[in-house]
Amino acid sequence: GRDLHPAAPSVRRLAREMGVELNSVQGTGIAGRISEEDVRRAAGTPSVT
Amino acid sequence: MANIDYDVIVIGAGPGGYHAAIRAAQLGLKTAIVEREKVGGVCLNVGCIPTKAMLHAAEVRAEAKHASEFGLNLNEASLDIAKLNGWKDGIVKRLTGGVSGLLKGNKVTLLSGEASFVDDHTVEVGGQKHTASHFIIATGSEPAKLPGVAVDQEVIVDSTGALVMPDPVPARMLCIGGGVIGFEFAQVYNNLGSEVKIIEFMPNVIPGADADAVKEFTKIMKKQGISIETQTKANKAERKSDGVHVEIENVQDGEKRTEVFDRVLVAIGRRPRTDGLNADKAGVQISERGFIPADKQQRTNVPHIFSIGDVAGNPMLAHKAMKEGLVAAEVIAGKPAEQDAVAIPGVVYTNPELAWVGLTEAEAIEKGHKVKKGVFPMAASGRAMTLQQTDGFIKMVVEEDTDLVLGVHIVGPRASDLLGEAGLALEMAATASDIALTIHAHPTLGEGVLEAAEAVHKQAIHIMNK
Repeated sequence: GRDLHPAAPSVRRLAREMGVELNSVQGTGIAGRISEEDVRRAAGTPSVT
Repeated sequence: MANIDYDVIVIGAGPGGYHAAIRAAQLGLKTAIVEREKVGGVCLNVGCIPTKAMLHAAEVRAEAKHASEFGLNLNEASLDIAKLNGWKDGIVKRLTGGVSGLLKGNKVTLLSGEASFVDDHTVEVGGQKHTASHFIIATGSEPAKLPGVAVDQEVIVDSTGALVMPDPVPARMLCIGGGVIGFEFAQVYNNLGSEVKIIEFMPNVIPGADADAVKEFTKIMKKQGISIETQTKANKAERKSDGVHVEIENVQDGEKRTEVFDRVLVAIGRRPRTDGLNADKAGVQISERGFIPADKQQRTNVPHIFSIGDVAGNPMLAHKAMKEGLVAAEVIAGKPAEQDAVAIPGVVYTNPELAWVGLTEAEAIEKGHKVKKGVFPMAASGRAMTLQQTDGFIKMVVEEDTDLVLGVHIVGPRASDLLGEAGLALEMAATASDIALTIHAHPTLGEGVLEAAEAVHKQAIHIMNK
């Protein structure tokens, strides 16, 4: 399979800033794309509760 | 550390170095940059920029020949070679002046001379010692030498010597090496009147590019009159009164022959430049092949010393160096930056161009992807017809299950400018459908990217779908 995370550059940067491993994030978008919200949820601080 | 001169000293003012220095300064770091030759490095002075200027001039000459098709007769064109060389040098001067101005404007101190490490926090430049808490090594690369073919920069040249067009234009030109540099100079000289031959040691030219694209590209170059011989090498070259006698060997059957040329270009690759740096005094490891490897944050084995660009490893491309420069500067400023690019585009700036980003079809299959592809020929593009440039195609490689775009390979006019969209698609994890559903302006060459995406799904409009 694809060895890169299906996440936009800004989402990958956000994950680094929040200390989130993209490996551990389940993308909820089309083709398993990881959104900003997916990263925030994985960090335990979703912006919408 | 107390009493250090700078937060960061960048060694080398090429694309990687000046990007690193400017970003470091933007982030509030006290920054110096060391340059032993000219600001702008290889790319601006003897690389990307002057080559593209020469290619443009040669392309205009070639296009003038085809203008008679629409009734514009420019057949009595003449070439003022001194003016050509001067025009190219003027562009270089403007750009390097611009970089110097940007460094100054950002309050980056320029230290002229060669930097060599004294210890892991000190470099010496022109007899003066300068200390810093961080270093970024951006010393670049230089042309690799070919035993038996000594470069004199007059008739046997490397890429730097090839940039100065001799007067008259050489009648017979040999390019040793079928890589990007070899092909670009081959076309410059061919378009300006030389009879050009490229020899390549390997079975294929342009390593790293998609096999279908290389096949199409090679066919077009041959049609333009450039002779290409693969699995062939040059053993030795000797200057004689009637030209350079080159012993050429077919590496398959070992057959040798001697051919005579008026100019020989050695373009067999580049090697990292670390001479004089005394990296060992800072404890920085150099690999067997001469590179200073770095991790995703561009750190060497010494955590406060970073390495970027050609000296850090392949591919040796200006835009890779630029990105790595930004990453190194941001990491030093405490930001969580990383070289995490999905793909680094590659371009041969001939006309048509060969340009690609992402995985080739072969690489995608090798990585275990189930692959689908779509191909749109330039011959079906209305815009290409209006430009008299219908050679080539756009090929899109897509993962079958997810429709994610894995790679885009283009042979065609201004292919390099179409890569921006393809690169963004890869970074955003776009699917072929995302591209097909995006309205592209008509008529443009970029529409071909949309049609290649449609072709993946067998519903392109301007070609029959097989």
